[in-house]
Amino acid sequence: MFRHNTLRYAVLIFLAGAALFQALTAGYFGLEILTEILVLAILVLALDIVAGFGGMVSLCHGALAGVGAYAYALLSAKAGIAPPVAMAGAVAVTGAAGWIIGAVCSRSHGIYFIMATLAFGQMAYSYVFEAPVFGGDDGLGGIERLDLSLIGLDLNDSRTFALFCLALLGAVYGAAVLILRSGLGRSLSGVMHNEQRMRALGLTVWRVKADVFGLSGMIAGLAGVLAAQHVMFISPGLLGWTVSGEALVVVILGGLGTLVGPLVGAAAFVVLKHELSAVTTYWHLVVGVILIAVVISRANGIFGWVEARWGARIERRVADATRKQQPGEVARDA
Amino acid sequence: MLETRNLDKSFGAVHVTRNVSLKLERGERRVILGPNGAGKTTLFNQLVGELTPDSGSVHLAGEDVTALPVAKRARRGLSRSYQKNTLFDGLTVEENLGLAAAVHTGHATQLWSDSLAKSEVREIVAEVAEQVNLMPFLHAKVSEISYGVRRQLEVGVALATRPLVLLMDEPTSGVGPEMSKGFHDLLNNLPRDLTMLIIEHDMDLAFDVADTITVLNYGEVVFDGLPEEARGSTLLKEIYLGSWENA
Repeated sequence: MFRHNTLRYAVLIFLAGAALFQALTAGYFGLEILTEILVLAILVLALDIVAGFGGMVSLCHGALAGVGAYAYALLSAKAGIAPPVAMAGAVAVTGAAGWIIGAVCSRSHGIYFIMATLAFGQMAYSYVFEAPVFGGDDGLGGIERLDLSLIGLDLNDSRTFALFCLALLGAVYGAAVLILRSGLGRSLSGVMHNEQRMRALGLTVWRVKADVFGLSGMIAGLAGVLAAQHVMFISPGLLGWTVSGEALVVVILGGLGTLVGPLVGAAAFVVLKHELSAVTTYWHLVVGVILIAVVISRANGIFGWVEARWGARIERRVADATRKQQPGEVARDA
Repeated sequence: MLETRNLDKSFGAVHVTRNVSLKLERGERRVILGPNGAGKTTLFNQLVGELTPDSGSVHLAGEDVTALPVAKRARRGLSRSYQKNTLFDGLTVEENLGLAAAVHTGHATQLWSDSLAKSEVREIVAEVAEQVNLMPFLHAKVSEISYGVRRQLEVGVALATRPLVLLMDEPTSGVGPEMSKGFHDLLNNLPRDLTMLIIEHDMDLAFDVADTITVLNYGEVVFDGLPEEARGSTLLKEIYLGSWENA
């Protein structure tokens, strides 16, 4: 079950501080990288909820983000609906899509669950690629960002947009914590630990999975909407399975089932990508080697490794303190 | 309270339950005896819905529940513990009990509140922990408690759903004689209106706890009666090769 500890709070504060500092001081290129990290962080939080806390390893979260992006583009650019309403509508559509996928896939496990979600993702990709309304391979352009001029914010400014994404990431993180600490989240944890027993206790397991997948879909949809607003253009590539695979890599790289880890993973992945791609076009190879090292080390990602060492250190301290205390107690007794 | 009518189940050529008819009154404590392979656990699996019978029916509190899935039967008051511990290993004893209590109280699917923090849930957890002697272990993880305590928790999790009928599949399986005696007291101290159906190999427990005894052999009910009648049954002595003569 999800719990915060001192280390998690410390890393969260550090990440928030670093992001805020970057948002306030960076130039255009730095802000673009930051926004990319923030959007990816929202997507991987969505994935961590289902994969890390529900054992539902999904290969369709990229597609869900794509559904959100296309829904927003169609509602705002083509149907002429006001961007805030279109944004809410896109998140709702993605939530509904996620719920249906979760419900259909709820009876499968492990590799079968992964394959079923992959199939859903590829179906969405193919449909968007082929259907003329989505602009085919050319994608859709002219996507507007939210108009927050009423409260004095211009989201067309990169800095303001990065701060806006940071605020949304904070809200999404808070929502994820609330979900995992709710009755639904507790039951999800029970299902991951022992699905058969939860069913025997009277829980409608498929419904819990579908509900959580729907909520996760909403968050993925939000990431897609922000991605669309960020680059103001979308193409079917956003729905491709490689996006989902990349999100999974980020979650594993950061620390599955920790919520904080995927944030670390998102930052590490995007920074690595940009730094390495400046040096070599084969940057994927380096990321692959790092991922293999993380998996082989059996540490739960970068954050999981740090957390395990931190936990071991605390245990050693407690053991030392107990050992030091015992002779004194004996002396008092004597 | 719980009734089966001509329950029949085969796996290919193997007939595992043959026209099993049982009727448990409210508050009755019945022990099912039988050698290995007699069909006891298969019968349990059909009662809770984990297996579908080929023919026959299961009735709970007068309602035919044969077509209902596992979760719906559980919500109607049919709860079970397993022969092999089926717990939430990474969680604490308190969380194990809390998850079960949350399902019973309807807080398990709520999005706006923490089910384990609900007073209703906490009350059930405290009450069940007291009933099955788990109070000292509430904050320990399942992986940190002994096998015997896990067996208690196995029963506790089933009890935390506040069942009408509690099915226990060999609750003392694998525990030592001393702990087994503790289990007798534990079961005898459970509320008298709770209907219990227990699969057990421990004859001492069977005769200590049971109001009635049913014996299965090759999937068939070969004895159904009072414990004192069971003690004198020649047929049962043949089945068990006199294993309880000294009980």
